[in-house]
Amino acid sequence: MTDAKRGDRTARNARSLAEGLTELGLVCVIEARGTLVLLMPDAASVEKLADESLRRAALALAKQHGFTHAAIELPNDRRRADTDADAAILRD
Amino acid sequence: METTTVAVEGATDLEARLRALADWLAERERVAIGFSGGVDSAFLAVVARRTLGQQGVLAIIGRSASYPAEQWAAARRVATEFDVPVLELDTDELNDPAYAANPSNRCYFCKSELWTRLVPAARESGFLTVLDGTNADDLRDHRPGARAAIEHGVASPLADLGFTKAAIRRASRELGLPTWQQPSSPCLSSRIPYGTGVTRERLGQIERAEAALRSLGIEGDLRVRYHDELARVELDPATLSKWMQPERLAVVCDAVANAGFERVAIDLRGFRSGSLNVLHGITPP
Repeated sequence: MTDAKRGDRTARNARSLAEGLTELGLVCVIEARGTLVLLMPDAASVEKLADESLRRAALALAKQHGFTHAAIELPNDRRRADTDADAAILRD
Repeated sequence: METTTVAVEGATDLEARLRALADWLAERERVAIGFSGGVDSAFLAVVARRTLGQQGVLAIIGRSASYPAEQWAAARRVATEFDVPVLELDTDELNDPAYAANPSNRCYFCKSELWTRLVPAARESGFLTVLDGTNADDLRDHRPGARAAIEHGVASPLADLGFTKAAIRRASRELGLPTWQQPSSPCLSSRIPYGTGVTRERLGQIERAEAALRSLGIEGDLRVRYHDELARVELDPATLSKWMQPERLAVVCDAVANAGFERVAIDLRGFRSGSLNVLHGITPP
């Protein structure tokens, strides 16, 4: 598979994962880095992820979409000022 | 040697295995041990000290930038407490381009450097048998460093006699070793994905970040995985549950960011051994 095709598939998987997470009640910006997916949840979703069963569900969903690792990016005050202006729904 | 390994064993099995280890050591009379102060090498060194006496054992520390300074301090403390003689050497694998390029067999180059320095030093001190702390579980993992040990004639009695990590922890507890419940402590380079160069700067970032998290009181398994500008933190799953509150996560983020990472993420699954191998599709043999 070419890098371009692999990238297209990863992007599709990421979009589909974002939709699935929304159905779980998690609102996230998603960034795919190979088989690692970074979730950037809104504040309410961070609080929801304290629930272990919800974390497990999110992980299972990520695995279904081809990701071996899922992590939530923690809000970094020093960085937020730089990125707020150009935040995207999906980055890959 | 043919071995049979069990994950959980009874007291009788463990006693038999300990007797077999003592016999194995007694046959060699004098042994030098590659000593990191971790669970396995500390156990082996203390059993050797008890079996062979102070003149019969030499624990050799190979200091390198790929291990945190705190580890060497801990190794010295264990050796002092159990009266194990220590020799310290410096290794320099970071100056080997083959190692610094961080190929999937990186550990081979590190261990080659270690044994190239350690084995002659042991022999100069009158120790013809050199051992490492490889255990039976390690044989089932991706361990390219094992080849270097074989090439340098280094023996692995814990693996050969079927000591699993669980058995070593149990026996260590019975011997009163403080390392019995110490988390596994692979080198800092293991936090950097294969293909991403290993540099002193990156190792320093990882070491500072992990030390900062420990200073917050985080116990158990902990890894800061390096992904360029991003640090991905893996915590022991039980610890992860305790820290998954926004205000505590903010403290984690600050600690790691202050170590030099622009972005900080926390892995939703938590710690898993060989995590970066999984990420790169490398499966155990």
